[in-house]
Amino acid sequence: MSLFSRFMDSWRKYRKPGYYDEFDYHWTMAIDLDKCTGCEACVTACQAENNIPVVGEKEMARGREMQWIRIERYWEGEFPDIKLRFIPMMCQHCDAAPCETVCPVGATYHNQDGLNAQIYNRCIGTRACAVYCPYEVRYFNYYDHHWDSPLDKQLNPDVTVRGKGVMEKCTFCIQRIRQAKDLAKDDGRRRVRDGEVQPACVQSCPSKALVFGDRKDPDSQVFKSMHDPRNYRVLEELNTDSSVFYLKKVDA
Amino acid sequence: MPNIERREFLKLIGAGSVGVGAGFMLRESAKHPTEYLIPHVVAPEDFSSGIATWYNSVCSMCPAGCGISVRTREGLAKKIEGNPLHPVNQGRLCALGQAGLQVLYNPDRLTEPLRQTAERGSTSFEKITWDEGLDQVGERLDLLRAAGRGNRVALLSQGVRGHLAQLFESFMQQMGSERLLHYDFNHPHTLYAANQRFFGEDRLPYYDLQNTRLLLSFGADYLATWISPVHHSLGFGESRQGRPDIRGKFIQIEPRMSISGAAADEWIAARPGTEGFLALGLAHHIVAEGNYQGADRADWVTALADYSPSQVAEQTGLPVTTIVRLADMFVDIDPSLAIGGGAAANHSNGVDTLVAVNVLNYLVGNIGREGGLVFNPEPSGPVSRRRQASYLSMLELAEAARQGEIDVLILNSTNPVFTLPAAAEFRQALAEIPLIVSLSSFLDETTALADLILPSHTYLESWGDDFPEPGVGFSVGAVSQPVVSPLYNTRATGDIILALAQRIGASNAMPWNSMEEFLKDGWRQIYERGDAQTLAQGFDAFWISVLRAGVWGETTRRNTEFTLERSVIAGIGVQTPEFSGSEEEYPFILHPYLSPNFHDGRGANLPWMQELPDPMTSVVYGSWVEINPVTAEQLGFTEGDLVEIQSPHGTVRAPVFIFPAIMPDVIAMPIGQGHHEYGRYAKDRGVNPIEILSPQIEPVTGSLASSATRVKLVATGRRVKLVKTSGMSRDLGRDIVQTTGPTGVEVSSARPNSIPITEVTS
Repeated sequence: MSLFSRFMDSWRKYRKPGYYDEFDYHWTMAIDLDKCTGCEACVTACQAENNIPVVGEKEMARGREMQWIRIERYWEGEFPDIKLRFIPMMCQHCDAAPCETVCPVGATYHNQDGLNAQIYNRCIGTRACAVYCPYEVRYFNYYDHHWDSPLDKQLNPDVTVRGKGVMEKCTFCIQRIRQAKDLAKDDGRRRVRDGEVQPACVQSCPSKALVFGDRKDPDSQVFKSMHDPRNYRVLEELNTDSSVFYLKKVDA
Repeated sequence: MPNIERREFLKLIGAGSVGVGAGFMLRESAKHPTEYLIPHVVAPEDFSSGIATWYNSVCSMCPAGCGISVRTREGLAKKIEGNPLHPVNQGRLCALGQAGLQVLYNPDRLTEPLRQTAERGSTSFEKITWDEGLDQVGERLDLLRAAGRGNRVALLSQGVRGHLAQLFESFMQQMGSERLLHYDFNHPHTLYAANQRFFGEDRLPYYDLQNTRLLLSFGADYLATWISPVHHSLGFGESRQGRPDIRGKFIQIEPRMSISGAAADEWIAARPGTEGFLALGLAHHIVAEGNYQGADRADWVTALADYSPSQVAEQTGLPVTTIVRLADMFVDIDPSLAIGGGAAANHSNGVDTLVAVNVLNYLVGNIGREGGLVFNPEPSGPVSRRRQASYLSMLELAEAARQGEIDVLILNSTNPVFTLPAAAEFRQALAEIPLIVSLSSFLDETTALADLILPSHTYLESWGDDFPEPGVGFSVGAVSQPVVSPLYNTRATGDIILALAQRIGASNAMPWNSMEEFLKDGWRQIYERGDAQTLAQGFDAFWISVLRAGVWGETTRRNTEFTLERSVIAGIGVQTPEFSGSEEEYPFILHPYLSPNFHDGRGANLPWMQELPDPMTSVVYGSWVEINPVTAEQLGFTEGDLVEIQSPHGTVRAPVFIFPAIMPDVIAMPIGQGHHEYGRYAKDRGVNPIEILSPQIEPVTGSLASSATRVKLVATGRRVKLVKTSGMSRDLGRDIVQTTGPTGVEVSSARPNSIPITEVTS
């Protein structure tokens, strides 16, 4: 095989959504909108787990908030026949992620677990990924953020504090996934059990609206949820092949 | 019932595998790390670099009493999660509870004892030692006690339960003072009183949301601020999608849509204060249709005669068809449950309203059964219900101060200057008290007026316990233990009280050296009383297992038989709600609601909570006033217009937020912001609507009818930018939140995407 055709082979493979032949795990989240109350416990859980800075009122006013998971709200109808719909929105970990193809330095890539990962020290801050992301879930560090002492004592030692000029976003709590995989390995097990790893948002959810797990395990809770007849993905028409499944809210 | 079954619960408690008592282990090594050249050559046994240790404890960010597990690394607290063994929250925790870390590590904490050096409120303090501070108070108290004038001492605390409450009791008893008050702005006085009248007991029942098929909530924001939000959310999720082929239906009746209103299948706005009429209208229809066949049916027919759906329709402003439909649904869907609280309970007829809600439960047989309301057994440890101060008791305290009857006021983590209306003139009354001592961890508005500050540990550094009210159908006790060693030169509240007890010569009656000792003693009594069902052998093993699990439950359920006294039926009825201010001059009813982020304002000093978008409006860092779009258009207001909200008792200024789900003649404001002190994150931010509330009273309980103030809006001509995270508030056909019919059948996704006029022009 010529060098050229070998190159073309790997190029085609690379261009295929999910260019790994097969993921080791395929981490997936399912969110039941019929259970979600919009309470935002997940938002604070994420702030605490992932060392997300508090940006202050001025930056907030310029739309520079840092919240890897947020609750979006949409009104429907007019008083008195009115409804408010909530939807948690975070990085959808698309298997055909628009953000990955645009990054000029390859700082964002798809890892062997099906996660859309961000390499902070490779990021040069073009912000192109944030422009390409249809879900608007990438957050940019316009400044080196500061924690008033001793609030910095709370910082999670398992997670990097990102510096100025770096893009960041939801990681599905990759530090927890790593730890669970290590534990499974130490245990002499090949695989992580269902329920053994939960991102901070899923762990905290008071109404258990969020479910997380490995899609490759047909017995997992998330596999069942993502095949629920109510399942859909946000902006599915864009073919991003996202890893976050929503279960439709029931209008009774 | 909670998911954890009784037997399983006991098993779990025996098998805990988390740390115990971080307090002692870490104290020496972590307190002064600089004194050790290599601090951890010999590390404490629960301390290994790189590996997290979890401690179970109790949340004290609101009165729900959830269990928490705190993750610590290298002696520092990193994350708070729910304690999975605790039957109230079962591993889950709300945003405010998780932000407890920022109470512990708050840069504005009071770090050592202070004495005010200039006039009160000047906040010029000098540092003193603990002995100086304790001696100064102790001498004063001792003199008063010796002179038999102990009643001139008052202790005002935030609502606490468990052995700390008992310690307060014994201390005040030793002082010879009856002036022990627990004050919380949102204590459900009316709910207790309604249960007292209807069920004959001064206790809350357990509301079994999880197993119900229809929940009718009269004003109770049960998913965000009412009684036990995390437990209710668990029940909500289970009821919605936890049972095969059964989906619980939720209906919310309130003048302004809350989180629970948004989660409901149907949101109904009845005229404020008429929720009780609506409940009785439903009851009338149920009885009239022959759906109630009890022996006392004739009594009910008489009692409900004036509440026919057509009469009630006039009062509530709802169509008769809606009333009839709700009544039929309440009978047909079984089991059903009615709850009441929030704004509906904070009117001049609050108790009547909540009794009317109980009537509904009674008529369809929801009492004492699964999916209905279940009576709780006697709590297994001390609770402080009878000490809960109503608005009227706070006025009495203020009056006593004005009459010069109070020499010393001890404050424990309560902030009445912020949570009482200006009309109560509490601040002015404090000026008449010669010595004010605060045990608060923060310089809040009330503490700023103290002469002496003896700062206490935060809850993550202290020993304590809690017996959640209401329990979960069986009684639960939970121990709170220090998860990190104290950061500063502060002391546990219990230790301060014990130190004062020594100084007034009460060491014989209160012989304990520390709160920890007292707590252990108290739990020994619980153990020895014999009803402690545990697998542990001996008290020490029991104690360790309770600390590991962080929780322990007494498994006796209560006999739930209930017979209603006939005299109660005769007394059923709802008075017309009274509002302060005339309708002509003050056309709007002010609906102040507890912010889910800040609770009664205590969360406002936490940066995470300041930056957490308000769930309904997405506004951060400020206050706002919610106005119906049509009203706003009539008045010519758009979002960000600064308006004056004037009540007969004061004025505040806030920007307008156009809120589509509020009645046209109601305006709503969140409680929590508007601090003048309380640290850098809270200070001078937004306004406090409590300030302008009229001193309208619910006559049965003497509690503040906080939803009964009329206001008018006056334009200032100024505009401000409302900081919020939401952009377009409509879906505009993007189908982001998709919905489906009840049986999973696809329904047309075509829906109205009209944009309100106000939004286009702004």
